[in-house]
Amino acid sequence: MVFHLDKCIGCHTCSIACKNVWTDRRGAEYMWWNNVETKPGTGYPTKWEDQDKYQGGWKLNGSGGLDIRSTSKTKIVPNIFHNPHMPGMDDYYEPWTYDYQNLFNAPEGSDQPTAEPISMIDGEKIDVQSGPNWDDDLGGSPIYAENDPNLDGLTEQQRLQLSSVERLVFFYLPRICNHCLNPCCVASCPSGALYKRGEDGIVLIDQQKCRAWRSCVAACPYKKTYFNWFTGKSEKCILCFPRLETGQAPACFHSCVGRIRYLGVLLYDAERLEAVAKLPDDELVEGHRSLILDPHDPEVISEALENGVSEAVIESAQNSPVYRFVKEWRIALPPHIEYRTLPMLFYVPPMSPVQASRSEDTITHSSDNLFHDIDESRVPMKFLASLFGAGHEGVVRYALAKQKAVRWHRRAETVGDVDRETADRMLREADCSREEADAIYRLTSLCTFEDRFVIPPMHREQAIEMMKEPHEHREEAGFGFVGGPRRGL
Amino acid sequence: MLLVLVAGTSSVRAQDTPDYYRQNCLNCHTIGGGRLTGPDLKDVTKRRDTEWLINFLQNPKSVVDSGDPYAAKLVEESRGVVMPIAPGMTRYRAEQLIRLIEAESKLEKSQFQGVKISNRPFTDADRKNGEAIFVGIRRLKNGGTACSACHSIYNLPALGGGRLGPDLTRVYERLKGRQALSAWLMAPATETMQPIFRNRPLEAEEIHALAAYFEEAARHSESDASTARITFLLTGLAIATGVIFVFDAVWKERFRGVRRPLVEDSVSRGPDSHREKTS
Repeated sequence: MVFHLDKCIGCHTCSIACKNVWTDRRGAEYMWWNNVETKPGTGYPTKWEDQDKYQGGWKLNGSGGLDIRSTSKTKIVPNIFHNPHMPGMDDYYEPWTYDYQNLFNAPEGSDQPTAEPISMIDGEKIDVQSGPNWDDDLGGSPIYAENDPNLDGLTEQQRLQLSSVERLVFFYLPRICNHCLNPCCVASCPSGALYKRGEDGIVLIDQQKCRAWRSCVAACPYKKTYFNWFTGKSEKCILCFPRLETGQAPACFHSCVGRIRYLGVLLYDAERLEAVAKLPDDELVEGHRSLILDPHDPEVISEALENGVSEAVIESAQNSPVYRFVKEWRIALPPHIEYRTLPMLFYVPPMSPVQASRSEDTITHSSDNLFHDIDESRVPMKFLASLFGAGHEGVVRYALAKQKAVRWHRRAETVGDVDRETADRMLREADCSREEADAIYRLTSLCTFEDRFVIPPMHREQAIEMMKEPHEHREEAGFGFVGGPRRGL
Repeated sequence: MLLVLVAGTSSVRAQDTPDYYRQNCLNCHTIGGGRLTGPDLKDVTKRRDTEWLINFLQNPKSVVDSGDPYAAKLVEESRGVVMPIAPGMTRYRAEQLIRLIEAESKLEKSQFQGVKISNRPFTDADRKNGEAIFVGIRRLKNGGTACSACHSIYNLPALGGGRLGPDLTRVYERLKGRQALSAWLMAPATETMQPIFRNRPLEAEEIHALAAYFEEAARHSESDASTARITFLLTGLAIATGVIFVFDAVWKERFRGVRRPLVEDSVSRGPDSHREKTS
C-alpha cells in the first residue's frame, strides 16, 4: 500500500467509507479503522506516537533480540487482571450522536429546538470534549498540534515557526492498519487469535479465538487494533478482504477523492525479516526496502513459483504501483519504522511551501522558489524525518528532492517557463532520469483505477492448501451456523 | 482376599454401636461412672421398660412435652437440659444402644465408665499449658484443631479467637464443673466439633490442662467481642490500603491517560501563553 500524502486533501471520505461498511455497529462506535490526522497534531488516539506512554511496538533488548514493549511471558502473569498500558476511552474519544428527535418532538417554546449531543456509550447527554479528528486542520493547536511527538527533535525556533502566522503549515496523514511484516499485535496475543494471512499478508483477528486480553491493543504502536466492548473481542482493519477476494479495492482506497491510495503486491524475503527488524535505527528504512524482491528477477520468479505463489500473483507484483513507489523510485517511506514492526503501508512525503516572514504589510519568502525549496519548506525536514525516516533525514530528503525534480521537469516540458537545463540538473541531483520522472508523473497525476489498484486473483481455493488438505477441508466447510462474535468462550 | 474383606466389614459393624455411644452419648452419660450432665445409664433398663427408652431416645423432647412424670424428673435432675436427638437416631439404632447398655451394665467395669479424670489439683503449669493448647502454640497430640480457631476467650490478643463457636471464658461454669467439662472434651458432640475430633480425640493430659485453663478463665468476664471486631476491621483496612500503595508503586509506569493532561496543562498555562510565545 502507498499513500501519496502530497495529494491528500484531508476530506475524510476514506474514514466515512470505512465507518459505513465496517464499524457502524454497537461496540464499534469509537473505532476508526481508517482515520485522517492533521500533522502537526496528536492524532487518534491522542499522542499515539508517544510510546513512552503507550508502550507499543518492539524494542531492542540488551542481548540483541527484539522485545515487545508492553508485554512478555513474565509480564502477562502479574498483569493478568489489568493491562497497564491500555488507552482509555478519553484518549480515543467518547462517541456521540445527536438527539434529533428533539427537533420534532420538542414542546412549543420561544426558542428553536436543538439536537443536543448524546453519548453512544451510556445514552446520556454529554459535553463533547474530543473527537477522532478533534485537532483537524490545526483545531485546538495550542493543546494538540504543539504536543505532536514528532516535534520533539525540533529546536524551539522551528517549533515556533510552525504555529506563527505566514509560516503556519499542516498536512494530512490518513492511517489504516499497516498490515506489518513483523506485527507486534500478532506476537503479543496470548490466545493466538491474530494471524497474518499467508496468501496476501492481511493481519486478522480470529473472532472465535479472541479472549479479550487486549494485548494487541496495547502492543500495536499505531493503535490500530480496537476493543469492541459489546462483543468482548478485539477488532481491526481487515483491508476489506471480502472486497479484495472479489477483485475490488478496499472501501477506503476505492472512495479516495484525491486518488492518493495505491495497492499492489510486493514479494518479500521472509527469511531476512528478523535480521532486518533488529537493524540499527538509521539502517531500518533501507533494510526494510531490501526485503522487497524484484518481481522481474528470474531467480525471484522461480523461487516464488516453487513456494506456491501463483503466476497471476507474480504478474500483478510486476505491475504493482507500490513496488515502483517504494523500490524503484524510492520515494515512498514507511511510517515510524523505529517501532520495528516493518509496516507495509508506505507514504510519499508531502511537499510544502517555503517559509515566509511578515514585516509591516509585506510578506517576504525565505526563498524565491515558493514551492520547491525543500530545505526552506515550512514543514521542517526533521519533522518529516521523525515520521518517515526513524529520525534520519536522508531518505526523506531523497524522496522530496525527486518529487521536486519531477515537478520542474514536467514544468519545463508542458509550460516551458523554466529552464530545461535547470530541470535536468535537478533530475540529476535527485538521481532521476527523464523517463523515470515521466513515469512518476503519470502514476501520480494521471493514474487510472487500474493503475492504482493491481489486485491479483486471491485464489482462496488454493490458499486453503497452505493449512489443510483440500479434501479434508471440503468435509468440514460449509455454510454452517453463521453467527456474530459473542462474549465468552 | 474376599474373606478378609468380609471379616473386615463385619468387625467394623460389631464396633459400630460402641463407637456411636462413644461419640454421641458418652459426653453426658457414663455407664457406672456416675452422673455427668445426664444420669448414669448403668441398669437403666431395669429402671424403665425398653419401649419407653426407645421412645425417649428417638425424641426426648416430645416425651418431656407429653408430661411424662419420669421425663420431667430427669430434666429437673439435669438442671433443665433436655437431651438432644443424637444424629442418625433410628428405632433400630435405639434398640442396639439399649442392648449395648444392658450388656455393659452387667460388666464389672464398663468401657463407658467414663474417663479417668484425674483429680490432681490444677497447677499454674497446667493453666499455662492449657492456654498454649487453646491458642495453638502447643499442638494437639492427635492433630485436632486448636480451640482458638473457632472460639474466643477472655485473654486472647487484639484480634480475638474465632467466632464460629461460643466464647469459652465461662464454659467451666456453664458445664457445671470439671467432670462434665472433661467428659465433653473427650468426645465433643456438637455437629461442628464432632467431625473434627471424632478421629483426633484429645488426650487425657490435654483435657486436664484445658480444664485448668477454663477453670481459671471462669473467674474472668468474657472478652469484649465488639472491640475485637473493630480491631479486626481496622487491621484489615490498614492492610488493604498498604496493598493498594504497593500496587501503585509496582505499576507506577501504567498508562494514566494522555489527552486530559494535555488539555489541563494548556488550560493551566492560560489562554494568552500561546500568543505570547508566538508573537
